[in-house]
Amino acid sequence: MARGFRRKGRGAHAHYVAQLDPLERATVAGLMDQVHDLLDPPAPAPEGDDFASIVAGLGMGVTVAAEDQADLDPDEARRDPALDRLLPTANRQDDEVAAEFRRLTETGLRQRKAAALQTAADLLRGDDKLRLDAGQARAVLTALTDVRLVLGERMGLRTDDDVEVLEAAAQDLDPDDPLGYALAVYDFLTWLQETLASAMLDG
Amino acid sequence: MSLAPVQEEVTATGGDVAPDTPWITIVWNDPVNLMSYVTWVLQNHFRYSREKSEKLMMDVHTQGRAVVANGTREAMEADTEALHGYGLWATFQKDE
Repeated sequence: MARGFRRKGRGAHAHYVAQLDPLERATVAGLMDQVHDLLDPPAPAPEGDDFASIVAGLGMGVTVAAEDQADLDPDEARRDPALDRLLPTANRQDDEVAAEFRRLTETGLRQRKAAALQTAADLLRGDDKLRLDAGQARAVLTALTDVRLVLGERMGLRTDDDVEVLEAAAQDLDPDDPLGYALAVYDFLTWLQETLASAMLDG
Repeated sequence: MSLAPVQEEVTATGGDVAPDTPWITIVWNDPVNLMSYVTWVLQNHFRYSREKSEKLMMDVHTQGRAVVANGTREAMEADTEALHGYGLWATFQKDE
């Protein structure tokens, strides 16, 4: 049974503690790995485990060649919509300005997000008792955001109303429907992130 | 979610928007990011007070978007890039 994050100490000495069981840690770390690979695609395809297969069924297993992502083609219809949530259009009035911004920022943003996801996944693979310093907590907090953005996109969450519709629909899902499992994981990540964000906000 | 507040409302609720600063950074509502997290990001990145960060967060939540900063184009681009790093749905544009 997981225990959410709590802050210990203040200021420069603040750190954040939580307790997750091995399955919870592996699940969250595995999702962080997948979002990492979406941002920084590895050469060979990763091995699929059961959970990876479920998520792949939602479309998360889509591989996106890096060279397709940084071009200036304003027609971004080919782009994985999850990438558009991680790296959204920065100017809605001028496609050229948006493309120029993307050209200048995308590589750096991908690298920084991938690094935080890697840091967070490594921390989660450590021990059931998590103890994060301020920098580690920031990495975990932003990594949880990026995982939830991708999962939310895969589940079709585009507006606040979609969340309610999905929660209502979940009542009638077949117990074997992967969407039900994805929603349960999403809710767990939401809870975990809420405890960390609240602890950091007060710190 | 109502995503179409009129422009006048947005600039009126955006905090310190001065008339002679031609570029703005906007944060848009999305169904994923948590209220506590958005508040933390605004407080951390802009060094806004807790109170101001919460007010801007509530504007995003209830009105669909809020102007969170204004200044030069370069500064707004830097803010937008940083906010994308945090996973917020941010854009920059001329304040028209």
